Amino acid sequence: MDILYLLIPLSSVLVLAILGVFAWALYGGQFDDLEQHGEQILEAAVDSLDPHQRG
Amino acid sequence: MAAFELAAESAIVDDAAELARFTRWREPKDGRRLAESSLRIGGMHCAACAVTIEQALRSVPGVVEARVSAAAQLASVTWDAQATQPSAFVDVVARAGYSAVPDTAAAARAMRVAESRDAIWRLFVAVLCSMQVMMLAAPAYVSGPGELGADVKRLLDWGSWLLTLPVMLFAARPFFTGAWHSLRNRRIGMDVPVALGLLVAFVASSGAAFDPGGAFGHEVYFDSLTMFVSFLLGGRYLEMRARHRAEASLEESMGRLPDAAWRENADGSVSAISALRLQPGDTVRVAVGQAFAADGVLVRGSTRADEALLSGESQPIEKAPGDEVVAGSINVGAPVAMRVERVGADTRYEAIVALMRSARSLRPASIAAADRWAAPFLWSVLALAAAAGVVWSIVDPARAVWVSVSVLIVTCPCALSLAAPSALLASATAMARRGVLLRRIDAIEGLARMQTLFIDKTGTLTDAQEHGVACMIRVGVGDGIGDGESDGATRYDGDALRAIAASLAAWSLHPLSKVLSQQGASSLVWNDLREVPGQGICGRAGDGVVWLLGRSPLMVAANDSSEAETWLSRDGRPVACFRVVEAVRPGAAEALDALRRDGVRVALLSGDASRRVERVGRLLGVPDSRGGLTPHDKLMAVREAQARGESVAMIGDGINDAPVLAQADTSFAMGAGAQIARAQADGVLLSGALADIVQARALAKRTLRVVRQNFAWAGAYNAACVPLALIGWLPPWAAGLGMATSSLVVVFNSLRLARSR
Repeated sequence: MDILYLLIPLSSVLVLAILGVFAWALYGGQFDDLEQHGEQILEAAVDSLDPHQRG
Repeated sequence: MAAFELAAESAIVDDAAELARFTRWREPKDGRRLAESSLRIGGMHCAACAVTIEQALRSVPGVVEARVSAAAQLASVTWDAQATQPSAFVDVVARAGYSAVPDTAAAARAMRVAESRDAIWRLFVAVLCSMQVMMLAAPAYVSGPGELGADVKRLLDWGSWLLTLPVMLFAARPFFTGAWHSLRNRRIGMDVPVALGLLVAFVASSGAAFDPGGAFGHEVYFDSLTMFVSFLLGGRYLEMRARHRAEASLEESMGRLPDAAWRENADGSVSAISALRLQPGDTVRVAVGQAFAADGVLVRGSTRADEALLSGESQPIEKAPGDEVVAGSINVGAPVAMRVERVGADTRYEAIVALMRSARSLRPASIAAADRWAAPFLWSVLALAAAAGVVWSIVDPARAVWVSVSVLIVTCPCALSLAAPSALLASATAMARRGVLLRRIDAIEGLARMQTLFIDKTGTLTDAQEHGVACMIRVGVGDGIGDGESDGATRYDGDALRAIAASLAAWSLHPLSKVLSQQGASSLVWNDLREVPGQGICGRAGDGVVWLLGRSPLMVAANDSSEAETWLSRDGRPVACFRVVEAVRPGAAEALDALRRDGVRVALLSGDASRRVERVGRLLGVPDSRGGLTPHDKLMAVREAQARGESVAMIGDGINDAPVLAQADTSFAMGAGAQIARAQADGVLLSGALADIVQARALAKRTLRVVRQNFAWAGAYNAACVPLALIGWLPPWAAGLGMATSSLVVVFNSLRLARSR
C-alpha cells in the first residue's frame, strides 16, 4: 500500500489544478448566461455559419 | 474583495452628473438641502444584514434616514448635502462588508453577474473539495477496528486537512466576514453561529489530525465541515438565482409602461405619439393631471407643476410662460403647451423607476417583526450550544464538540427572516407580469384583506365609445344672434360649435373629452385655460369670449339614457349639448360579480348625475351607487367606511380621484388614467381591465397563505431540530443539510407564487 503515499498527495494537487481550470472558465464568462447559446439556434441571424455550411 | 475595490472608486459617485442618476432632491422647510439616494447593496443574504447596514449608514454624520430592504437588496438613504457626500456612506457600507453601487439598471446587471460568478466559484470549490474529503474519510468509516494502520490514517487525515483549507480560507469566507462585521457592529447576525461552528469544528479536527493523542481526541470532522459549507453555499446560490430572476423581471416590466405625448403638428392639429419619439423643438400639449414628457420651456399658459416625485417638494410650483419644466413632474394647474428642449430616452422611465424603488425599499410590518425576533433567537442559540457543550463534556466528552457544533448550525433564523419578504417579492413579480404594477409592496396585504371597494365610474367602469356619435343639440340660447355683447356678426353654426368643443376638449384628459376632441379640428388658440376637477374645462377664445365645456351651469334635468351629456357654454350660458355613447367596459360586470362572491362590498362613486350612475349600477348589479359627488364627497365616503373599521380599497383614474386614492387603505389607478392618479395609487392596472384586480386579489390571498406556511415551517423546523441536536442525534453534516434545506423550502415555496400560471 506504499503507493498511497504518492497517490493521495497527487490527488490533492490534481484537485487544485481542476479548481484552477474551472476558475479560468468561470471568469472567462462561460457560466454567465447558460440559456444564451441554446437560444442562439433560434435567432434569425445566420452570420455565425461557416461559408461551406450555407446552402 | 470587490467591496473594497468599489470603496476606492466611490468618489466618482459624488460627481453631480452621476449623482442625478440615483438621487432625488428635496427642499424641506428648515433650509437644509436633503437628497434621497438609492443604492443597490451586494453581499446581503438575510434580514439581519439589512439591520446591520442600516445602522452603519445611520452612523455617518449627515445621514438623516436609511432604509434597507433585504428582499430587494436596495438601500434608500436620505442625506444632508451640507454635511456629507454619497461616497462617505458608500465607503461605510463597504467597510461593513457589503458593496453598494448607485441603483441604475446597468450597474445592477453587472453586479448580478459579478455576484453570480463569485457564488458559483465558492460553491464549486466547496463541493469539489468536500467530495475529495469524503473520499479520504470513507476508509475510516468502512474499516473495522485495527484494519486501518495508524500511518495510513494520519496520511488520510493530513490529505483531508489540506483539502479543507481552500474551503475554510476561501469558500467559507462570506460566513467569516459576515460574522466579523456583525460582531464589530455590536450586532448578532445569522453568520455568527455558523462561523463559530466552523471554527470550533476545524480547530478540534486539526488538533486531532496532527496530535491524535492530544486534548482534542482522535476524531476528525473535516468531511462534515466541508459538506456543511457546500450545502449552505448551495442553498444561498439557489436563493441568489431566484432573487436575480425576480429582480430582472421586475426591471423589465418597469420599462414597459407606455407613455404618450400630444405633439402639435405644423398645421395646428394634434397627434398622440410615444414620448420616446419627441424631438427637441417639438411643441407638446400637456393636460391637467398629465406628466411633462420631456424637459422644456412653457410656451403657452401658466400652471403649477407638482415635482414631488422628482424632488420631494410637496407644494406645486408656479410656472409661467418661459419657465422651465422638468420631465416627469405633473401638471396640476391648467392645460398648457411646452416646447421640448431635452429628450432623454429615460427621463420618464426614471420617474417610474423611482416609484418602483420607493415601493421596494418600504418594509412591510410583517418583515420588521421578523427582524426583531432574529437577535434574541440567535442569542438563545449561542446559549443553548454552550450549555450543550458543557453538559456533554461531563456525560460523554468525545461528543461534546460535535453536539455544540450541530446546535450552532442546525438553527435557521434565515428561514424565519425570509418567510415574508421572499413571498411578497415573488408575488409582486407575478403581478407585474400580468400588468398589475405595485408601488407599495404592502398593497398585497391590503388587497387580500379589503372589505369595501369603491370604484369610480367614468374611465374606470365605463368607456366612452370612440365610434359613439356625439350628437349635438342646439339649445338656441346665446348662440351669437343679436345678444349684442360680441360684434353682433358672430354666428356659430353646428360645425363651428363642434370645432370649439373639440379644440377645448383636446386640452383635457377626461374620457369624454378624448371622444369629443375627435369631432373637429382642434386648432383654435385658447388663453387662460383652467380645468376644475369634477366641473369642466374653460378658456378664453381669441375674440375674448369665455367658453366652458363640462357640467351644465343650469343643472338641466339629468337624463337617464346610456349617453353621457357634456355642455358647451358661452359666457356662462349653455349653447350646445353633446351626447356621447358610453358603454360599460367589457368584463367589468363579471369582475365585480367575482369580487362580490369573494365577500367584497362594491360601491360606485361618481361625479356624474345620480340617475345615470344608478343606471350603470343597476346594469352591473351594484346597489350602492352614488352619483353627483364632488372629490370631497368621495373622500368623505371613504373616510366614513374607514371609521366603521373597514379595510377600504379604491380604483380610479382621474385627477378628481387622486386625493381619494391617497386616502384609501389600498388603491389602484388605471394605466390610461391621469399621471397624478397613478402617482397617488398603491398600484397601477396597466391594461385597465378590472379582471386583473380579481386575479391580483386571488394571488394576494395565496401570498398571505404562503407567508403563513413559511412561518409555520420555519418555526416547526427549529422546534424539531434543536432538541434533536441537543440530545446528540444530529451530526454536523446533517445539521448543515437541514439548515440549507429549511431556507430553500421557504424560498421555493414563495417562488410558487412567481411561477403561478
